[in-house]
Amino acid sequence: MTLARPLATRLLPAATALAAALVLAGCSPAAMTPDASGESGSPVTGGTLVYASGDAEPACLDPHVGGNFPQALIASQYLESLYTKDADGALIPWLAEDSTVSDDGLTRIVKIRTGISFTDGTALNADAVKANFEHLLNPATTSSTGYLALGKIASMQAVDASTLELKLKSPDNSLLESFSMPWVAIESPTALKRSQADNCAAPVGTGPFKVESWKKQDSVKLVRNAGYVLPDPKAGHAGGAYLDAITWRFIPEAATRYAALQAGEVQIIDNAQPDAIAAAEKNTSIKHLDAPRPGASNRVELNSSKPPFNDVLVREAFIHAVNVNASIDSLFFGTAVRSYSPLSSVEPLALSEESLFGYDRAKAAKLLDEAGWSQRDSEGYRVKDGTRLSLSFPVSTSQSIPAEQSLFEQMQATAKESGLEIKIKLLDLSSWYGELFTNNYNLVSAPYTKVGPSVLSVLFHSDSTIPAPSGYFANLSQVKDPSLDALLAAAGTTKDLAERKDLYTQAQKKVLEGYYLLPLYNQQNHFLYSAKLKNVGATTAVATPTFFDTWLSN
Amino acid sequence: MSTPAAASTRAPGFSESPVRWLLGKIGGGIFVLWAVATAIFFGIRMIPGDPAEAIMGGPGSQASAEALAGARSQYGLDQPLYVQYFGQLWRLATGDLGTSYSLKTPVSEVLGELIPPTLILAILALLVAWAMALVVAVLSTRSGALGSALGSGLEIVSAAVPHFWLASVLILVFSTMLGWLPPVSTNTAAGLALPVITLALPLAGFLGQVMRDTLMEAQRSAFALSARARGESEIGVLLRHSLRHAALPAIALSGWAFGSLLSGAVVVESIFARPGLGRSLLSAVTSRDIPMVTGVALISAAAYVVIMALSDLAERLADPRIGTS
Repeated sequence: MTLARPLATRLLPAATALAAALVLAGCSPAAMTPDASGESGSPVTGGTLVYASGDAEPACLDPHVGGNFPQALIASQYLESLYTKDADGALIPWLAEDSTVSDDGLTRIVKIRTGISFTDGTALNADAVKANFEHLLNPATTSSTGYLALGKIASMQAVDASTLELKLKSPDNSLLESFSMPWVAIESPTALKRSQADNCAAPVGTGPFKVESWKKQDSVKLVRNAGYVLPDPKAGHAGGAYLDAITWRFIPEAATRYAALQAGEVQIIDNAQPDAIAAAEKNTSIKHLDAPRPGASNRVELNSSKPPFNDVLVREAFIHAVNVNASIDSLFFGTAVRSYSPLSSVEPLALSEESLFGYDRAKAAKLLDEAGWSQRDSEGYRVKDGTRLSLSFPVSTSQSIPAEQSLFEQMQATAKESGLEIKIKLLDLSSWYGELFTNNYNLVSAPYTKVGPSVLSVLFHSDSTIPAPSGYFANLSQVKDPSLDALLAAAGTTKDLAERKDLYTQAQKKVLEGYYLLPLYNQQNHFLYSAKLKNVGATTAVATPTFFDTWLSN
Repeated sequence: MSTPAAASTRAPGFSESPVRWLLGKIGGGIFVLWAVATAIFFGIRMIPGDPAEAIMGGPGSQASAEALAGARSQYGLDQPLYVQYFGQLWRLATGDLGTSYSLKTPVSEVLGELIPPTLILAILALLVAWAMALVVAVLSTRSGALGSALGSGLEIVSAAVPHFWLASVLILVFSTMLGWLPPVSTNTAAGLALPVITLALPLAGFLGQVMRDTLMEAQRSAFALSARARGESEIGVLLRHSLRHAALPAIALSGWAFGSLLSGAVVVESIFARPGLGRSLLSAVTSRDIPMVTGVALISAAAYVVIMALSDLAERLADPRIGTS
């Protein structure tokens, strides 16, 4: 903790400068560009990179099945998508060459690149892409993320080898963003015909590496794809990857991962914790890649469907009653920057409204008095009609890192000073979902990653308050506002980019001004790696690192 | 009961026939396994959420209604609870542990891969704990009141140390600072050292405490005195008489200790990134993988039953008085 101050002052010369730097850093999740830090020396071919992942070991290596971030991380090494993002964060065609949409927005033509083969020899063509979409939309595949992303597709047809025609149920201007996600990556149609168990064990793609073997609870062995063809020749070097192989290890414990990196047993780790990042910043042999995830920011959502947060005054009072900034600085050692937006800072259309937020006890007190919570009980908590102002806050221990749990505890402490009781419940993932399904929460923090601002529809459209058969719903603040629904619907279908931006800005204003959420920071996505590893920094559209241009120096 | 024929079949330490003893142990073991299977079956259904959803890729997977219905009928989750319960018991009785929801492979196959690494870890830890406990107990009883107090203090502290903390400290010292041992466990001597010590140290403290008390008592007892009077050396008394006494309560505790090693494995396997039963139990619980949880729990219970029987046997062999009175 004593380290936090000097480090924070060193890293954060000014909040605004850092915010600007972050936007730039956010843009560097660039598809295949070498890292901007300027690596010297010429690339060395060969060697095995050992990657240590702290994310859950996927149950299936095919991200079509289910579809979560651990799958995206590893699949980015052997699968490629139709679209990706360039160094400036702009969407660019990848396995696709081009795409056009009809005036009514209901017919989309996707041109597929030619001359590319999957690692099993099958050729990439329009039929192959069609087989992938069918695989994703087939209930037997049990896709969640990819299935939702392609939900607007009504039918499809391969017009010729390189042309796929999609008929949509309604216009969807986020379709190309969806195509850029690893959960909609393109696999060999020949391989997809195998049993699901076989395909889960070794999916076949067009990426620079391919899956060789998988030792459960230990590692996945990836080897170089000798016949790799870079889809966009402008994006990197010619030929295959420099590395011979990647050993993808699963090391769940953060301290062990960092120790393994220091011991040289592994060369790169993900899910680096704030204390390790702070320590690494002072260590010249370890480097840091900060690649925030796209989609939503990490936030606390306020359940507006029941008392006390069905009253906007109480929601606003809560926002001003908690001191977030000081806690973030100290607990995250200056490695996380406060967000004032529902969207990640890497989303170009993110709207940030700092003026709405801020720790202000006098304001909170005034708002609570106005809302009728003017009495206090013996413990100092606010009371209305004999009921204490008490907020249930289930926290998933598998989704919130220790620093975040401490942040929630500090919020709890500062809220108490304003007479709000926060009851934090630390729960395993299943029990945490149980609390959500039964509407037994007032505050909740849930991650959500999706490329593009359309994630706002997932999180804040009233349709998302209706639970799926599994009981899950994404609109956890339970906003039901027809005018917001209309804005989100219009933003999702307009062909005019300026209008899209304006509509999403208005939509974000509505959720921020309605105090439905308390934005915290970008979804933390930090990688630490050995200085011997060169040209790390290239990431996909969802900020997973790729190692096509990376090499190991001696 | 003690007909001449029955008496002739008695083995040392057995008041009844060894066959009867064995049958009793097997019966008790079956009862324990049934109780564990029943507790898990009903316990896991108390957790909010839908098992079908776990099959479809975990909570929040947003599986469609038809997919969920398909999973329910495929795994028999749409049947009345008692049908599911007796069906499950029948399958378990016939050796069918079912298919893991998350790994989509037969549980018996997964367990076959995970039992050996955990067994290696637990057995080594038990042996090392025994060795450490013996050394500390013998040395401290032979070096006067101060040594005894020192030994006792050491034992109390190490018995109280939590696995999680100990593992972190060992990694910090031996991997990060000294660079001697890898923080990630493999099945080599170096790769096993830190996880084995993590499990063994608290156990050694516990065993040592029990051992030393009995050892000191034995050293002062009449048979030790008479042995010394016969001209036997201190070492001879220790080896031939006292240690045997000291070992008895420690042997009795080893069954319990093995059970604690399995629970310690959950922490140790996760920290040292080591494949095994403990780590898979943790992920199975988080993902509501009922067949996996049941399988791991049954295997652990079965191991516990066997070890308890073995420690009972060892105790009887070490002290023929047990069971004959």
